[in-house]
Amino acid sequence: MRLSVPFVALDVQQRLLKPELMAAVEAVLDGGQFILGQEVADFEKSFAALAGCPAAVGIASGTCALVLSLRALGIGQGDEVITPANSFVASAAGVALTGARPVFVDVREDLNIDPALIEPAITPRTRAIIPVHLTGRPAAMDRIGEIATRRGLAVVEDAAQAVGARFAGRPIGSFGEIGCFSLHPLKNLGACGDAGVVTVRDESLARALRNARNHGLRDRDTCEAWSYNCRLDTLQAAILNVKLRHLERWTIAKRRIAARYRDALAGVVGVPDERPDEFGVYQTFVVRAERRDDLQRYLAQRGVDSRIHYPLPLHLQEAARPLGYRKGDFPVTERLATEILSLPIYPELADAQAEAVIAGVTSFYAGRG
Amino acid sequence: MRVAFSYLDRQFTEVEAIIADIRGLVASGDYTLGAALSQFEERVAKLVGVRHAIGVNSGTDALMLALQASGVGPGDEVLMAPNTFIATLGAIVATGARPVFVDVDEQHTLDPARLPAAITARTRAIVPVHLWGNPADMHAIGAIAERHRLAVVEDACQALTAAIDGRAVGGFGDAGAFSLHPLKPLNVWGDGGVIVTDSDALAAQVRLRRNHGLRDRDTVELFGVNSRLDTLQAIVGNHLIDRVTAITDKRIEHARRLDAGLAPLREFVRTAPRRQGVRHVYQIYVVRARQRDQLQRFLVERGVEAKIHYPVPLHLQPASRALGYARGDFPACETEADEILTLPAHQDLTEAELDYVVEQVGRFYRR
Repeated sequence: MRLSVPFVALDVQQRLLKPELMAAVEAVLDGGQFILGQEVADFEKSFAALAGCPAAVGIASGTCALVLSLRALGIGQGDEVITPANSFVASAAGVALTGARPVFVDVREDLNIDPALIEPAITPRTRAIIPVHLTGRPAAMDRIGEIATRRGLAVVEDAAQAVGARFAGRPIGSFGEIGCFSLHPLKNLGACGDAGVVTVRDESLARALRNARNHGLRDRDTCEAWSYNCRLDTLQAAILNVKLRHLERWTIAKRRIAARYRDALAGVVGVPDERPDEFGVYQTFVVRAERRDDLQRYLAQRGVDSRIHYPLPLHLQEAARPLGYRKGDFPVTERLATEILSLPIYPELADAQAEAVIAGVTSFYAGRG
Repeated sequence: MRVAFSYLDRQFTEVEAIIADIRGLVASGDYTLGAALSQFEERVAKLVGVRHAIGVNSGTDALMLALQASGVGPGDEVLMAPNTFIATLGAIVATGARPVFVDVDEQHTLDPARLPAAITARTRAIVPVHLWGNPADMHAIGAIAERHRLAVVEDACQALTAAIDGRAVGGFGDAGAFSLHPLKPLNVWGDGGVIVTDSDALAAQVRLRRNHGLRDRDTVELFGVNSRLDTLQAIVGNHLIDRVTAITDKRIEHARRLDAGLAPLREFVRTAPRRQGVRHVYQIYVVRARQRDQLQRFLVERGVEAKIHYPVPLHLQPASRALGYARGDFPACETEADEILTLPAHQDLTEAELDYVVEQVGRFYRR
């Protein structure tokens, strides 16, 4: 019998958690409070502790978190913000939505922004750097922080995929002025709908963000700056409070699968290494593969589902046309886009399923593909 | 007697059925843009009598996305009245456009007679607000918009099932925005909103823009927000949508009872003139009252939760400073802000509670 390995298996996790989750949902119903309130405050407190920050603010989505964060730092029309060319669209859209201009920088083989290329991209209009901790792997926060300090730039971490990751022992989200997290259902810590959170080191910035997510209201009747309605739903916060209790266990499980893939596939495909100062959380496990498309098809035939994150770099997207980039501008990103393949990785992935993934990849290159 | 403004604790008679559906969803993992959302969208479209409804994250986002999809952006001017909830203005500012205020008429809604004077070469759209559930004069506003080739995006956040001559608001303009906030007659269990439109092109734009500008999984057509109505919330909406007309009917009935009860006090408290053929759905029931602040205190002391929506007109908010308006610019709005008082009138009140409200108002003025 062929073993099927879906790319995601959210249903498995959810079925296990259902009694806990439903109890949390019903507690919210009994309370009758659906906007902000205790569950959101509790979640913010726990999340701030997790990220080693004094404060966290629940937001409707990771994208919204980026937009509100940049605006809270006064970034908008006429400003430039540096961000990697290889990311999910929200990293660039977050910038564009404030009216600022996303300025792309190429990445390293680890898929994260190349610190050596940041300085050449800085102009007098540059206001901030958005390092993305792609795949849950921390960006080079030591060098990025050093550049930002020296050049007087803000750092907003796009930690959408990096809940629980650490760099040099310090939690991701605590390096920049603000850390932006997505809590989309498919994230390591995921709600049952769209959700996000920001972590903040400075209490006055936290206050500004609390107002900004709630129409800019300072109190019921006073609006100090026009803003969005971007609140984390109380119901989702209650769900997240349940899931937070399991996060550490899930992270350990994912890291174990990652280690297993790395050991078994090193030399067969390019596997993500882990430098001593990095603690990655493997939102995705991305390999670099020759004949990538053939490999993906081969795996699919064997019941192993895989994905590409992301096949078309941001600078080559239609939405980026007004920015004036061209093919060839970011060679590493462009090459990686043809090589990368994300293998199934989730805490509930069974040993036999992991073996099936490994067997699929190795047998493809053993000439059986 | 306590007459509460909010009614959420009385609402959930259908909780068990909703919970059962959520239990199914939780196990499925299908949380974004799922089947329940499409079903909900179809039902909202049918309720409003338009071709398309698109679920988004909030009423504020609904306005913002409808404006963007109508082509409104930086450099444009958008006309609106300054006596609404701040979200109307926040949504306009979020598109990069500049809000331009126009005063209101005796219905507390955008005064069509004052619109032409506010139109400039940069004017791109009008956002009439059906404030408190009371439809703005869409026939007159629509005619002006057509003459000047302006888009109309209705802020119908407080006005689901409100209508003019039997035609539901939301369907008059190029697009309409509804809120599903917990205090609305059709609500979800968190923030939510819906855009309605008859235009296939506008609907497609909104669908694109609520989902990162993604045309398909890997192609980004434009830089858009993430503003999807959660599937979980659509499940709640599907359970409650069949009741919305009954809820607003009940509110209308309650408003009529209050109107009748307060009629003998008309030298002290008065409402906007009620119009034939206009279905005002009374998201809130508002009177203009003499000695408003004292009346409010008097009522609150006697258990009647009277509130003010909204005490500070938008052009006088700190956030508006950059727009350069001053006190005196919109006299109708400024006067009403000092006089308006919201009395409880929601669907779950009893006749005795409504009569108690009337009685206390009478007692205040006849002390």
